[in-house]
Amino acid sequence: MNQNSRPNRDLSRRQLLRYSGIGVAAAAGSSFLVACGGDDDSGGGGGGGGQQGSGGTLIHGATGGGSKDTLDPHAPVTNPDIARVSNLYEPLLFWNNTYELEPALAESVEGSKDAKTWTIKMRQGVTFHNGKDVTADDAWFSIQRVSNPKAPLSAGGQLSTILDFEASKVVDPTTLQLVLKVPYALLDSLLAEYTLGIIPTDFDIANPVGTGAFAYKSFDPGKTSTFTKYADYWGDAAFVDELQIQDFSDDSAKVNALQAGQIQTVDNLPYNLIDTIEGSGGGALVSETGAWVPFTMRVDSAPFSDVRVRQAMRLIVDRQQMIDQTLSGYGTLGNDMYAPFDVAYASDLPQREQDIDQAKSLLAAAGQEGLQVELFTGDDIGSVAPAAANLFVEQAKAAGVDVKVTKKTPFYDDQYLSYPFAQDFWNTRNYIPQAVVGTFPPDQGGTYNETHWDNQQHRDLVNQAAQELDATKRADLLHQAQEIEYDEGGLIIWGFRQQVDGYGANVQGLEPSRYLPLGSYKFNKVSVS
Amino acid sequence: MTDAATLLTDPLEEIAPPRRQHGAAAWAVWIARRLGLALLTLWLVSILVFLATAALGDPVRAILGRDYNANPGRVAELEALLHSDESLVSRYFDWLSGLLHGDLGTSLATGLPVSDLIKDSVINSAMLVFLAALVMIPLAFAIAMISVHYRRKRPDTVIQTILLAMAGLPEFVIGVLLLALFSTTVFHIFPAVTITSPTGHPWDNWKVMVLPTLTLVLWVTPYVSRIVRSSLLEVIDSEYVELARLKGIPEKVVMRKHALLNAIVPGIQVIALQLAFLAGGVVVVETLFAYPGMGLELVDAVRNHDVQVVQALSMIIASVYVVVNLIADILSILLTPRARTAISS
Repeated sequence: MNQNSRPNRDLSRRQLLRYSGIGVAAAAGSSFLVACGGDDDSGGGGGGGGQQGSGGTLIHGATGGGSKDTLDPHAPVTNPDIARVSNLYEPLLFWNNTYELEPALAESVEGSKDAKTWTIKMRQGVTFHNGKDVTADDAWFSIQRVSNPKAPLSAGGQLSTILDFEASKVVDPTTLQLVLKVPYALLDSLLAEYTLGIIPTDFDIANPVGTGAFAYKSFDPGKTSTFTKYADYWGDAAFVDELQIQDFSDDSAKVNALQAGQIQTVDNLPYNLIDTIEGSGGGALVSETGAWVPFTMRVDSAPFSDVRVRQAMRLIVDRQQMIDQTLSGYGTLGNDMYAPFDVAYASDLPQREQDIDQAKSLLAAAGQEGLQVELFTGDDIGSVAPAAANLFVEQAKAAGVDVKVTKKTPFYDDQYLSYPFAQDFWNTRNYIPQAVVGTFPPDQGGTYNETHWDNQQHRDLVNQAAQELDATKRADLLHQAQEIEYDEGGLIIWGFRQQVDGYGANVQGLEPSRYLPLGSYKFNKVSVS
Repeated sequence: MTDAATLLTDPLEEIAPPRRQHGAAAWAVWIARRLGLALLTLWLVSILVFLATAALGDPVRAILGRDYNANPGRVAELEALLHSDESLVSRYFDWLSGLLHGDLGTSLATGLPVSDLIKDSVINSAMLVFLAALVMIPLAFAIAMISVHYRRKRPDTVIQTILLAMAGLPEFVIGVLLLALFSTTVFHIFPAVTITSPTGHPWDNWKVMVLPTLTLVLWVTPYVSRIVRSSLLEVIDSEYVELARLKGIPEKVVMRKHALLNAIVPGIQVIALQLAFLAGGVVVVETLFAYPGMGLELVDAVRNHDVQVVQALSMIIASVYVVVNLIADILSILLTPRARTAISS
């Protein structure tokens, strides 16, 4: 999720308190990957191949939700909210299953050489559920709605600061021209978030219309919502006639319903129940994500102000053991760099592995033998965090480092962002937006710079890349930026979580997606037999 | 509720001493007194509920979290809804007068009237408890009578052992076992959860109700049955039953007319306690079966810091306690000749 930054992040932090750990971190907006590595039968998703029949009802069991559930296209918070908006509304571009941009309601989004003027060509022949044609006016209306500078919604955080509202204009019914105050080469990725669905200029939340494969039928917050197949959908029309999204506040109720055949899909299947579901004929859909729970070391405070100490700590971690024990094996290795799905991800840098001897010698060189540190953690980071913290204590012992874990309730209080050594959680993003929000000084957009990283050279590279339209040049700049973080950064990124969702025996067509659970909730591709 | 018997009060002790009044008037006074006491109880409960929810801290801060400082408009909006500028006492009386007028206020989380929000779930829970009672009462009495019939013989021992074992099981264990047996693992006869149809009630599909009801029934029947059995035994061993037998009255009539009627009073008391308990205690069962009732609503409201909804639901649960116990007391009096005459003479 690119610039979904602040509002959504805050909410997700709060949500975490409410629902069982990891599930929601994912929901709050991000991405998950393909791979189907984890499970034998997840290849091809829920039996993705084979004949798919039409008709029937698909009931999706969504984790969480409550009386605050909403149908607002631009303010989804909970899992059921996200599932709903993903089927009712559509953005101008899609993040596809491999986390790349592809055209949706826009046929093309092209930037000028200076990355300041962007021309959006609307797809022809797309209609809203009420039959009205989708025009550039609707797109401009929707963009303005999320990026109101006074109260930007989650998709509009970045847009509201860079858009020149006066100069941007609707050229003709199929062309929208966005003008920026500053060059920004990633504008297209901002337009692809599920939180920026295009709605008509006369949108009414009481009878919400969008362009998605399913049209609104009924909505009972905290309980259930129903949708009917939109026959005039511009893409692949849905297989099922009706879609129902049912809220579940309890994990075991959700899994029982799946086993009993009352529902066909669930998001965020608990790891310990995967075998149960597979035993009853269903399956687990395993998707990789770019979501991570790092250890954060403040680079401006002793002992971590010494880069040798930071590198030693990174060498202490047994990454595979972290994944095996805290994620039940459902994870991929991290290499102290984030944004693994970014085309510019520096995958050529050597994988860092546990090396106690070198860690010891680095610590000795830094005069920090027998180092004692306090590690702050909390349940509100997610259930993974305390488990990882306790495991780190064990791993650090081998290098003679004495780690004392302090569990805070809540972790996200006034002291958050000033802990010398702590943890945090992040969802999938590409490199530039993540670098800005996580490693820039607060006055330059670094709202959650846990490590107090302040590196002018790194910042210049990122800023330069953000204005560079040439993909090769951009990748080169970002590679240099990542090298700096790989060598000196304050983050220990040991792994990325895999998303696990469940489906029943009679479900076909699900494919793993890096973006959102259950193949980005694209239920039009799912059939039920 | 492990030891319901000790909680039972003897209705005979609570009656006013005989007064020199005639039947109807004496009854009216007695009922008025009981009603007055019930209202007093509810009023005390309302103070407790209000203070408890007020003591939870500033709900606006809790709802908005980090946005508290960033979003003064929303803060003002919520504070207006809560009347936070007024004193605690005046807020209490505003709320109380609203309650008395049937106005439960506006939900903070959703902005909807509380009564609209909770209406369905209250009805759903009431239906669940009603069905459970409908099955549980005859069942408990039947088991007790069978048990007494075979007392101190093997069938009685077996029944008592089973009841005791079941009484020791928490409701979610019963629910999970039933789910595994009838819904997910062994058989697939009944649905595991309630998939609410957007327009109808959960019981539109009767099968949905079976497992939740059964869980409640299996959970409370052992207590009721054991209490009824022990009071039946006490009666059966009494001299007047012995005398009835000696007079040659058939055993069936002895059981029905002499024993059961006299043993029914403790039964009514324990049933009332259990029903009242169920009204507030269905949370776990509702969560397990995703049944859209009061319990789920209450949990959601607490999570959302939706003060008004919490207050309204707490008051409803308290009222159920009071009303059910009141009815039980009246029934007990009516069924106890000694008490009846004590009042009207």
